[in-house]
Amino acid sequence: MARTNGVMRNLLDGQLRGSDGVDIGRVADVEAEWDPDGRLVLRRLWCGPDALARRVSSRLARRLGSITRGRFDRSIPVEEIESIGDLVITLRGPSDRYEVGRSERWLAHRLTRLLPGARR
Amino acid sequence: MTSAAGAYRSPFRKAWRRLDPRLALRLSLGVLTAIGGFLDVGAIATAGEAGARFRLGLVWAFVLGTVAIVVLLMMVGRFTAATGKPYAAAVREHLGFKFYLIPLTAEVVTNSVMLAAELGGVAIAMSMLTGASSALLFPLGAAAVLAMTWWAPFSWIEDGPAILGLVTLCFVVAVVVQGGPPPDTWSTLVRPDLQPGDLVHYLFLAAAILGAIISPYLIYFYSSGALEQGWTRRSLHLNQVTAVTGMSFGCLVAVGVVMTAAIALAPRHLEVTSLPQVSLTLVKPWARLGGYLFATSLLVTCFGAALEIALTLPFEIAQGFGWSSGKDKPKRRAMRFNLTILAVVVVAVAIGSTGVDPLQLALYASALTALILPCSIVPFLIVMNDRDYLGDQVNGRVANILTVGVVALASLVALVTLPLTLLSGGG
Repeated sequence: MARTNGVMRNLLDGQLRGSDGVDIGRVADVEAEWDPDGRLVLRRLWCGPDALARRVSSRLARRLGSITRGRFDRSIPVEEIESIGDLVITLRGPSDRYEVGRSERWLAHRLTRLLPGARR
Repeated sequence: MTSAAGAYRSPFRKAWRRLDPRLALRLSLGVLTAIGGFLDVGAIATAGEAGARFRLGLVWAFVLGTVAIVVLLMMVGRFTAATGKPYAAAVREHLGFKFYLIPLTAEVVTNSVMLAAELGGVAIAMSMLTGASSALLFPLGAAAVLAMTWWAPFSWIEDGPAILGLVTLCFVVAVVVQGGPPPDTWSTLVRPDLQPGDLVHYLFLAAAILGAIISPYLIYFYSSGALEQGWTRRSLHLNQVTAVTGMSFGCLVAVGVVMTAAIALAPRHLEVTSLPQVSLTLVKPWARLGGYLFATSLLVTCFGAALEIALTLPFEIAQGFGWSSGKDKPKRRAMRFNLTILAVVVVAVAIGSTGVDPLQLALYASALTALILPCSIVPFLIVMNDRDYLGDQVNGRVANILTVGVVALASLVALVTLPLTLLSGGG
């Protein structure tokens, strides 16, 4: 059903979930490309501060972009999508396979030892 | 299609039909926890001041606010059970990221100030119990709140302070043992006794009361709690019955605070300028014991509300951004969520350290909540009326009109009176 529905309604702001059931983020932007046959093809799902800022205003996007320079934005190729249902986009691989949500692992790696009770 | 009236009658009827002893036990437990969870520093501050200045003249605002929050909680319960999604996620999915920023900003601002007020209330209560300075106890109270949000499982945070919160029933008992408010005050219930120049403050308090009772954080907390406990359509009716009954009893306690203030403070023309002054409401009937009872009530309600706010805001942020979240997950699996808890408490401690009296902070935070209530509630109403999302669980007309009416009233009154009160230098 979702395959025939609109991109805006079913992909944008949808919950990205690894095959292990762990939530990693929400889709901030969708990248599409005209292929040589003249068809518009979806390529990647984008997450990150710059993609989000573009959703809010172009001025904010420029300001933020001059600082972040896209360093914190991550994408997932659409081929990795296993299923889309009810605004939950389930991916083929486990959550730690993807760049999106890497901050979670980065924080866990750096801070687990520092914070009491975090090792559990 | 359910009509609005049908939607609201059916939970009671169904629960009643299926009532068995085990269910009755859960029901009464749920009601108990809801009573305890109703009061917070905003409710105590506004109720104390309302009773002292206008006797029973603002009871209507508590009743109106309670009706609105009950309707809203029933909505969000229905939403979460029907879709299996938390409310914050729905706002972003349904209305987009840009729109989601509006309720998010509103919630971050009001909840940070309110959390600071709750932490201040905790410090004052501890100081009343121990005699130590509340400025010294403030970081201690904040550390206790942080420790509890960090280590305790969700069910403790939900039920623990709430069950202890039953001590607040002492306000109702105090009204009863004193034979109720003096006969001449009853007339203020319908005809408030306003002196010239009182109108702005009266309306300001009315807005603050509505903001204190219809706290959006309660709606988010309820939604996250429903999700954490895995509500389904089956459990929905029971939980709604408990929410309604509990909130109504909670309102009774708040009105109890108003009445004790009308009995103890109004005749002496005592203006309430700080939280310890509100303790006179219980000191009158019970002397020293009353002071301790008040301090305990304040401690438990502020502590409980602080826990709820310190968890709700991170839940809201994490759900909106799609992060892994949950109180009962291993911390390293939901690090962004857990660090947000830390950040929220740190910000509130910073606000509380400015030295503004918690009572004033609570009054202004409540009025501010009332002012920006539409930012939190309107997106919710839009989602609640979407048939694609909710199917037959969409709102009825009565619920829509009632919510819009109360929210608009609270916001307009706050819009007019908040600047005037700030200009005149407060209460």
